Amino acid sequence: MTPAVEFNAVSRHFGTVKAVDGVDLTIAEGAFFAMLGPSGSGKTTCLRLISGFEKPTAGGIRIFGQDVGAVPPNRRNVNTVFQDYALFPHMTVRDNVAYGLMVKGVDRRSRLEKAEELLALVKLPGYGERKPGQLSGGQRQRVALARALINEPRVLLLDEPLGALDLKLREAMQDELKALQKRLGITFVFVTHDQHEALSMADSLAVFNDGRIAQIGTPEDVYSRPQTRFVADFVGSSNVLPPELTAALGGPSKWASLRPEAVRLVPMGHDGTVKTVRYLGAGSRVVLEIGGTEIAAMVPAGQPIPETGAQAAIAFDPRALHVMAE
Amino acid sequence: MHSEQAGPGVKIAAGLGLAFLHLPILLIFLYAFTTEEKSYQFPPPGLTLQWFGVAWHRADIWPPLWLSVQVAAIATAVAIILGMLIAGAMAQTRFFGRDQISLLILLPIALPGVITGMALRSAFAMMDIPFSVWTIILGHATFCIVIVYNNAVARMRRLSGGIMEASADLGANGFQTFRHVLLPNLGSALLAGGMLAFALSFDEVIVTTFTAGQQSTLPIWMLNELVRPRQRPVTNVVAIVVFAVTFLPILAAYYLTRDGDATAGAGK
Repeated sequence: MTPAVEFNAVSRHFGTVKAVDGVDLTIAEGAFFAMLGPSGSGKTTCLRLISGFEKPTAGGIRIFGQDVGAVPPNRRNVNTVFQDYALFPHMTVRDNVAYGLMVKGVDRRSRLEKAEELLALVKLPGYGERKPGQLSGGQRQRVALARALINEPRVLLLDEPLGALDLKLREAMQDELKALQKRLGITFVFVTHDQHEALSMADSLAVFNDGRIAQIGTPEDVYSRPQTRFVADFVGSSNVLPPELTAALGGPSKWASLRPEAVRLVPMGHDGTVKTVRYLGAGSRVVLEIGGTEIAAMVPAGQPIPETGAQAAIAFDPRALHVMAE
Repeated sequence: MHSEQAGPGVKIAAGLGLAFLHLPILLIFLYAFTTEEKSYQFPPPGLTLQWFGVAWHRADIWPPLWLSVQVAAIATAVAIILGMLIAGAMAQTRFFGRDQISLLILLPIALPGVITGMALRSAFAMMDIPFSVWTIILGHATFCIVIVYNNAVARMRRLSGGIMEASADLGANGFQTFRHVLLPNLGSALLAGGMLAFALSFDEVIVTTFTAGQQSTLPIWMLNELVRPRQRPVTNVVAIVVFAVTFLPILAAYYLTRDGDATAGAGK
């Protein structure tokens, strides 16, 4: 099967800034793909390379097998949900949604009918007459989504789609986007800096750091088997153990990662000092200092919580210790 | 210590200042109705409407009026097109020397008209361009562009840059984006800029003096007319017309741009 998007050693340099640097990437058709990374890591530039608003300074990009090097954004069968939604302020919601069909020359009646269909799909039926300025953030986002879907793109790009929404709305939209993607069966590529969002929505993801891909795989892969210290730290704030500590805890003398939820506090064992205790509802996050390294442990609710400054020790299943290449 | 209420002395001074600025304009209106035609005598010995009729039938008024309208309209059209293009370049791209170029664009309005006029006159002479309606239009366009540019660039900066990309993303070509997205959002700013430019061009004297050949525009006709003590109130009638033609567009421009934020900034 032809992949939806293929990057072959793609770089995008702005002068001396290497925004994207030698990225190889394959996104399967029908995937819900996340590009995860801190700001400035190159994920948004990668998205803009797919939509065509950036041109690679080196390497080649294929969309469904077609080399898009010379294809401008308006001729790519790819649509974008922009971060600030970028709705046209002077048009009604219906005209916004129908815009893609209008510029194609579809007659007014059919395009407005189709726009109504899409407004129903994003659960905004009857909002067609309003102006974007009269909508809430969540509603604007749905309009942006409907507008991007009207041309029936084979790849939908979403740039921090949930970034501007409040927590509750964000969680509801995560489920909805996921359901929508399943129903439409088209490839979704979304950019986010929120690891929870990436882990919960994507079926595969790429972690970006400094213009390069640090790791690519399923959420399970990336979360449980981080390949680098950066990934371990950025995706779900894992404990990163230096080689000496790994060895002291019974592992090989290599960098390793250890999930806080795999760490138990026990009466006896390797000694450390409790530095902070944070109550999180479902449990408490206890940070110990052991041999100069901070180790976080998730203590489930109901178990005894040590005082700050107290001595405590840790234990864990040796299989939970994940040894990393670097 | 800022007090909300100004003292009575300040209020009176402000009132006198405003009166000094605006009473002469009222006097011009008043003298359009006077019965005495040789000197501006105050108070006027009597009031009459006859000068409006006289002005209407004076054949020497119409060519300068028509010329002024023509010059202002064409200079404004040139300014709208060029001003919009410059604004687009300045608002959307960053390049070396951008701030310096922005200053150069604003210069014609900051420079005294005499300088602009002299510079244009010697430039036209050097290039062997005969002085005509077109040289007047070019002269006026130099400062009209600034007005349009200022309005357009302010609006473009407020527009969410994403809407142009969104348009391209949805399949629109450059012209469609301009027609359906940029122009509707820029429209009122361009109209306002255009009206101000029209008003500015319509009563311009200095640059016109330097760039005109034998033609005289309405303001220049008025200047010549004031020297001659014949049917003086006719000049005042024309002054009222000039006032209306220039003041109304400025008023309209003010109202058009005042609510601009609501239409342009709603994307966020």
